[in-house]
Amino acid sequence: MLARNQAGQSNQPSWLPRWLQIVLIGRNPKVTLVRLAVLIVTCIIVFRFILLPARIEGISMLPTYQDRSVNFVNRLAYRWHEPRRGDVVGIRLAGPHVMYMKRIIGLPGETIAFVDGRVLINGEVLDEPYEKTPCDWNCPSVQLGPDEYFVVGDNRTMSSEEHVFGKATRDRIVGKALL
Amino acid sequence: MKIIIRIVLLAALAALGVWLWTVLFPSPEKVIRKRLTELARTVSSSANESDLARLASARSGAGFFAATVELNVDIPELGQHNSLDREELTQLALMARSRTGGVRVKFPDINITVAPDKQSAAADLTVEANISGEHNSVVREMKFTLRKTDGQWLITRIETVSTLK
Repeated sequence: MLARNQAGQSNQPSWLPRWLQIVLIGRNPKVTLVRLAVLIVTCIIVFRFILLPARIEGISMLPTYQDRSVNFVNRLAYRWHEPRRGDVVGIRLAGPHVMYMKRIIGLPGETIAFVDGRVLINGEVLDEPYEKTPCDWNCPSVQLGPDEYFVVGDNRTMSSEEHVFGKATRDRIVGKALL
Repeated sequence: MKIIIRIVLLAALAALGVWLWTVLFPSPEKVIRKRLTELARTVSSSANESDLARLASARSGAGFFAATVELNVDIPELGQHNSLDREELTQLALMARSRTGGVRVKFPDINITVAPDKQSAAADLTVEANISGEHNSVVREMKFTLRKTDGQWLITRIETVSTLK
């Protein structure tokens, strides 16, 4: 133990005060270096393949997500189960660098319609506790295929023409919003 | 020990050879990706661009396209066209550049599928345009069809892809 510490000290630059050396590079620089390498590799793996950092642009998910807020898309969320109604998901365009952030309201095989701002699933009104604002959308019913989900933003005070929503195939759903 | 050094040197040499080969003879996918990135850079414009620079960029941008380009897009700014020739493309580009104060175009995701004969390819890509003065960027998914003509990959067809149907 003592020998290891001495070995560690011998590698430390002598031009720094001892306390600053400990704060900056630890008691044993080799161990600190290994820790740093592990941390960097872990961060790369986590933020590149598991939790994709996303900056939200636009107002279509208000009030749940503010414009310019930051979130993460969990790519492992649907590894063991399929997306569920009410989940906010990232939907890829050509790739995962730019995604739509939308809420799933319709599941495969269902029929969705908007009548006077209310969502009808197979003719039944959908309870949407996340919807805080009045809405007057009317959209004809849409039949979802076996691999399709109906996604929409939470801000339905926007006119339906300005809002991007509709059917998304399963392969376009990248993951679930973490926050 | 000598054997290990020789093996390592041989592996490094092989890696260098492979790298050189890819640099000297890049795959069609790599060439198309580079060309599309160049296209994004060419169609981008700054706010204080001179008329001459605008014309030069528009003409240069048209060079990425075939003599006639098929269109199947739902972009109102482009109007109702089924096809455009290079001159019309140049005019459209000029009009767009003069209307916007400046635009920065990026293709953050490009998926390229090259046909088995390596003479045509399809690129599914995300177009992201940051228009100066606009709060949010404009994002569209598009599909470009390319054909190799006289050794150059030229865009022959542009279509918008509906991400959400």
